[in-house]
Amino acid sequence: MDAFNNFLQGSVTLFSDPINILIFLGGVIGGMLFGAIPGVSMLTLAAILLPFTAHLSAEQGIMLFSVMYCTGVYGGAITAILFNIPGAPENAPTAFDGYPMTKNGQAGKAVGAAVMCSALGGVVSTIIMMAATAPIADWAISAFGPPEIFALVFFGLAVAASVGAKTFWKGWLSILIGLMIAVVGLDPVGGIERYDFDMPYLLAGIHFIPTILGFFAVSEIFVQAEKKVRGSYTAPKLSVDFPSLSELLAHKFAVIRSIVIGFFCGILPGIGATLAAFMGYNEAVRWSKTPEEFGKGKLEGVISSETANNAATGAAMIPLLALGLPGGALTAMMVGVFQMHDMQPGPLVFLTSADLVWVVFAAMFYANCSILLIGFLETKTIINLLRIPFQFLAPLILLLATVGAYAVRGLTIDIVVMFLAGVVGFFLRRSGYSIAGIVLGLILGKIGEQTFAQAMQMLHFEWSGFFDRPIAFGLLIAGFLTLCGSIYGAFFKKTSAPSSTGSDSPPAPPPPGGG
Amino acid sequence: MRLSKYLAGSAIAIATMALSANTAYAACATDGLPSSMTKPDGYPARALTMVVPYGPAGGSGQVAQAMAQAVTELTGVAINRDHKPGGSGTVGMTAYMATPKDGYTVLEHIDDASSAHALDSTRPNPADDLIPLVTSQITFSQVYIRANETRFTDWESFVKWVTEQNGRATIANVSKEGSMERVTMKFITDATGMQIQQISFDKGAPRYGALAGGQVDALFEQPGDVRNFLDSGKFKPILTILKERPSAFADVPSLSDVALDFDPLFRFRGFYVHKGIPQDRLEWLQWAFQKAYCEESYQKYNESKFMTLIESFRDTEGSRELINTTVMQYRDVYKAMGLEVK
Repeated sequence: MDAFNNFLQGSVTLFSDPINILIFLGGVIGGMLFGAIPGVSMLTLAAILLPFTAHLSAEQGIMLFSVMYCTGVYGGAITAILFNIPGAPENAPTAFDGYPMTKNGQAGKAVGAAVMCSALGGVVSTIIMMAATAPIADWAISAFGPPEIFALVFFGLAVAASVGAKTFWKGWLSILIGLMIAVVGLDPVGGIERYDFDMPYLLAGIHFIPTILGFFAVSEIFVQAEKKVRGSYTAPKLSVDFPSLSELLAHKFAVIRSIVIGFFCGILPGIGATLAAFMGYNEAVRWSKTPEEFGKGKLEGVISSETANNAATGAAMIPLLALGLPGGALTAMMVGVFQMHDMQPGPLVFLTSADLVWVVFAAMFYANCSILLIGFLETKTIINLLRIPFQFLAPLILLLATVGAYAVRGLTIDIVVMFLAGVVGFFLRRSGYSIAGIVLGLILGKIGEQTFAQAMQMLHFEWSGFFDRPIAFGLLIAGFLTLCGSIYGAFFKKTSAPSSTGSDSPPAPPPPGGG
Repeated sequence: MRLSKYLAGSAIAIATMALSANTAYAACATDGLPSSMTKPDGYPARALTMVVPYGPAGGSGQVAQAMAQAVTELTGVAINRDHKPGGSGTVGMTAYMATPKDGYTVLEHIDDASSAHALDSTRPNPADDLIPLVTSQITFSQVYIRANETRFTDWESFVKWVTEQNGRATIANVSKEGSMERVTMKFITDATGMQIQQISFDKGAPRYGALAGGQVDALFEQPGDVRNFLDSGKFKPILTILKERPSAFADVPSLSDVALDFDPLFRFRGFYVHKGIPQDRLEWLQWAFQKAYCEESYQKYNESKFMTLIESFRDTEGSRELINTTVMQYRDVYKAMGLEVK
């Protein structure tokens, strides 16, 4: 009851001041716009705004950033669905099914599902955040160390190998290609230089944003351009049909599962929304009765990914506010906002600045609700972008992607990487490899390698140490069972391999393994 | 008095300030510099660019933002920050070395540039290949445990407990090859005879979370980075890696108190410009960055990061001396550790 009263008090503070309302609306709209532009993400907006927050009150500054965080994660879904350009890495799995839905004339349905599920995931995680920030944060950091996170990544990769490739071998080879790309640069623990070929810029590693832009946006333009030249190009059918309530209710278990996954990934420091979205999508494939339909335009794919990544936003605020541990770049910038006002996030904030905390909680709740309202209004207009003829749209997408690739680190090599990934992706997609698998291998590989090295150091280089940690052990077992399920499905079960649609057509994945 | 003469005088004065604790610095180091300086031939006629080899959210990103803000407040000249993270600062340094030598681009960097040069002399030496404008943060490290820890409560009991574990105790730090953290831990373990497994976390949050969540037994860190954990009573320092106790940590033993006899290594952050830029532009930049150090906003930032416990300021000559001393110190240690020093 106290929490509800505090929430009401926070709401009153938020809406009783016109300046607060303006900042709230600015954050909502700014987050959505910047989130929708690839590379130029909400982080860009946050970095620009950071110095100006010194002129705002602490409540206003933190509230602005938290609102941008909520709506920015959603914003990238629109371009992922309409143009196969994920606005941010956490929207990449949304494109797996969202873009095929657009090509199938179901863009409105996909965007509508993204709007509703983003809002739902965000609202639920905000409510949990309000109810139990401190105990959840304490549990997460004591239960999940590097061994558990490595085991989680292993489990994720085992599931991911079944997403998007024509055969078992091509699925695993795709993952391995991603893992191989992930090891370029300094090793994350010892600082040893690897595969840099005496090029200093390669020491920074291959960043996943230009890689995603290349594999998704650039290779898609090549595919469509080829069709145009051959005369087989067909423009996406335009539709603004939103998903019906019954369609959404039919996916209620996917929504609940993705909320749990997203929330769980969000509370782990340094993990966040990207892993949440991929894990949400992977689990949707694993639990589906028709997994072969994923990658061809299945609504559940969009629902799972978007629910999970927004569920991570409220969760990421938990370690930040309760412990002072930022989970990602944007929450780290929030620490800067706190410090500009002579404050430090952490347990003392609840004692010394409870008003601020509840204004932020209320603002995040309403920001997620506003995704629903503004999202639907936006959808009605933004889908009309599909009316632009391909020959005009393609250069615009290439320009946006190039700017996005460069904007990440200001390195020209990222543009080269993007175009290389585009060319490689163009050929790989024809040969049945999984673009999704490569991207997953790259993103999870970086996290996995680091946590594996840390885990081995913690366990004194003894594998048996995993047996003493029940969560890590359980996740490893689940991963191995999934792997066994894949092998069984590939060699002992007769399945007909589906034909590629030119996007990321998955094969008949193996039966779920490992509970 | 010409600025260059003033700076030379101030360098001597600052160089005499030892890196010792318990010193009150009521007056700011560059209060004596003129409050304004005429722009030489209209320079700078446009915004400056600051290359930052780390992301915007970490310690380097924050100090770059605070200094850029202070310089702008002082001079009205805008500074755009260009973050080029990766390769432990190598990428940003490489990108900076390729920029024009016209005084419009400055570099932020930390002591990693000095240790990288110490290990491999083909890497740029920040003292010789660049001109340091100012060193604006110098800080020391500490060893922390959880405040509610019961297995050990102070340095003495910690060393005893770690020794009993026969190498199974753990400490979280950034233990990359040749890093300040690893070198300092070598000093400590050599002197105490204890064996401790170093767990390398390159990002702050997982590192602090590892101690708070009981994943590791101790943490090696600088006090400004864990201030919120100290203020909230979650972490407790058990050793200050300085010869003397700073006033803010009067209850925490220093190296001298526990008979550890080595020269502590410092984490320092500063700002640099190309060698060979026109002299008048150099003098203006030196004035702007050194004077900005004493701007209220910058001092407030440094205080919030525990950066005023020891003298954080070094001018050009002071910075060179700091870097050269650090490079020699690292080189000796690397040789002793058996690393290949190029």
